Amino acid sequence: MEILTGNELMSGATVYLDSAGTWVEELQKARVFGKSDLEAKEAAIAATKRTGRINSLEVETVTVKDGRIVPDRLREHIRATGPTAPVFDRQHLDEDGHVSI
Amino acid sequence: MYRYDEFDAAFVRERTQQFSDQVRRRLSGDMSEDQFRPLRLMNGLYLQLHAYMLRIAVPYGTVSSRQMRMLAHIARSYDRGYGHFTTRQNIQFNWPKLRDIPQILADLASVEMHAIQTSGNCIRNITTDQFAGAAADEIIDPRPVAEILRQWSSLHPEFSFLPRKFKIAMTGATTDRAAIRFHDIGLQATTNDLGEIGWQVWVGGGLGRTPMIGKLLSGYVAHEHLLAYLESTLRVYNRYGRRDNKYKARIKILVHEEGIESIREQVEAEFAEVKGGVLTLPQAELDRISAYFAAPQYELVNARSVDVAREKILNPFYGRWLERNLNAHRQPGYVSVTISLKPVGGAPGDATDTQMEVVADLAQRYSFDELRVTHEQNLVLPHVKVTDLPAIYEVLVKNGLADGNAGQITDIICCPGLDFCALANARSIPIAQELTRKFESPERQAEIGDLKIKISGCINACGHHHVGHIGILGVEKKGTELYQITVGGDATEKAAIGDILGHGFVAEEVPNAIERLVNTYIARRESPAEPFIAAYRRLGKEPFKEALYGAN
Repeated sequence: MEILTGNELMSGATVYLDSAGTWVEELQKARVFGKSDLEAKEAAIAATKRTGRINSLEVETVTVKDGRIVPDRLREHIRATGPTAPVFDRQHLDEDGHVSI
Repeated sequence: MYRYDEFDAAFVRERTQQFSDQVRRRLSGDMSEDQFRPLRLMNGLYLQLHAYMLRIAVPYGTVSSRQMRMLAHIARSYDRGYGHFTTRQNIQFNWPKLRDIPQILADLASVEMHAIQTSGNCIRNITTDQFAGAAADEIIDPRPVAEILRQWSSLHPEFSFLPRKFKIAMTGATTDRAAIRFHDIGLQATTNDLGEIGWQVWVGGGLGRTPMIGKLLSGYVAHEHLLAYLESTLRVYNRYGRRDNKYKARIKILVHEEGIESIREQVEAEFAEVKGGVLTLPQAELDRISAYFAAPQYELVNARSVDVAREKILNPFYGRWLERNLNAHRQPGYVSVTISLKPVGGAPGDATDTQMEVVADLAQRYSFDELRVTHEQNLVLPHVKVTDLPAIYEVLVKNGLADGNAGQITDIICCPGLDFCALANARSIPIAQELTRKFESPERQAEIGDLKIKISGCINACGHHHVGHIGILGVEKKGTELYQITVGGDATEKAAIGDILGHGFVAEEVPNAIERLVNTYIARRESPAEPFIAAYRRLGKEPFKEALYGAN
């Protein structure tokens, strides 16, 4: 399974595409694309690129465990929560950080 | 210190205005990210894991009190109250917002700073000995020539799109504290048969995935011809350096594949063409630039030294700080003071806005308004009267900056790693933190003596792991962070690349693995006067390999 993630233009904050087509901060709200969602995923990628507001757009593989989205890569855990050392809160979206496709 | 002239000021101001307009066009949608990315990188603005990162140049590691206060202001106003001093004597801010970048650059320009050429395939910030202009073992202060090279290399039209980035380091001392053998070009002051001072030119050194020790390209180049000689070298690289494979694009690969004799032949042929031309440096210009770096008005003082042994009895913490963090100065009665940014459990190289201001105040009051950033991620007060040391130490203690650990096992070089960096494969800061906790005891550190640990979170080696007496490289294998340990690296004039002794360790095993290496050294050294690196050279890798992995 896969999710779409990137960094919002103004803040650089890590964001995820949710099921409503909005780019949000919370990993757990990310839309999970299965193998049968290839077309939808490609359409979402294309629509996102058209916004010009999401950088470093990536497809990340995840596992859903007990209803929770768990990224396969440590890198994605860190992106989702912020640096582990020194511990900092992750970057947040500004008021003008709303991006929808 | 060098001060901008009208040309410099206009150049930086115009560049700031130009980039401000580029940011505006990016935000308005007039420019795509593909168009904007190379422009922001030329201005030091990266996009990392969590946010943008702005890398600001500190030319040859020299910074004034006023400039350091501005860095504190930026940390407080636009970031999260701290900055990260890097292994290239620069500073990075990890959390700026894109809208704030134009104002940050304007603030920097107001104190004669910028972020130009801190990224991209150009000539990067020229680094040098952190004790330049102060060290007792120095032949010449390298900073006037470094400043001339900075001016020559800034937006050099021929060298703005090299095959790959290009790093120059230089030292005017006999002891190499600038790791010049591990740069694309390393310059070391030397004298010719007539006693005239010039430069040895080393080429093709580097770290990264293919570590190489630089090779001697020329044993002596006079000041007046240095620009022409370097231009010739860059021209040969620009012409023949590989552009088909970024991993083989650095000059070290060209030198390795073509051979130093062939490269020298090409450079000399080019040099013969340009020598004596427009790149000849007039003595008057060298004198003009050198005047900016004239020695400060030192006081003639009676107290010439500190009784460290006595101070260690009276106040062991102060005594240890004196023992470890002072460097001999050319001026009697003065020393250079290393301010450690390596507290136990801290992130190496990080300083808060308050700490930056405190250090700026100390520099203004006690060190002729001048500070240095070291490639080992510490700060330096270069010119301090020995009689002022107690007052300085007192301020440092109050602000968490008084660790007396310079050059010891807890004075670790460490890249940002996977906690921040988009290129990293593994975290590095947590390893550094655990090691400082493991070896926290000052007595234990004193027992171990000089030992440099350097940690990188990926093969790009920003943490210089190849040249650590003990190097640690983080890699990722099947989703797990593993740490490969190397031993025997040396960044000084005795340049050496560390030996890989075996398989990697998971993070939890690293502190004990390092302790086994340390214990082996202590058990096998000839005396406490034999440092770790000397013992390793004498003993070879086998005892240390056995310490890590057991007997075969």
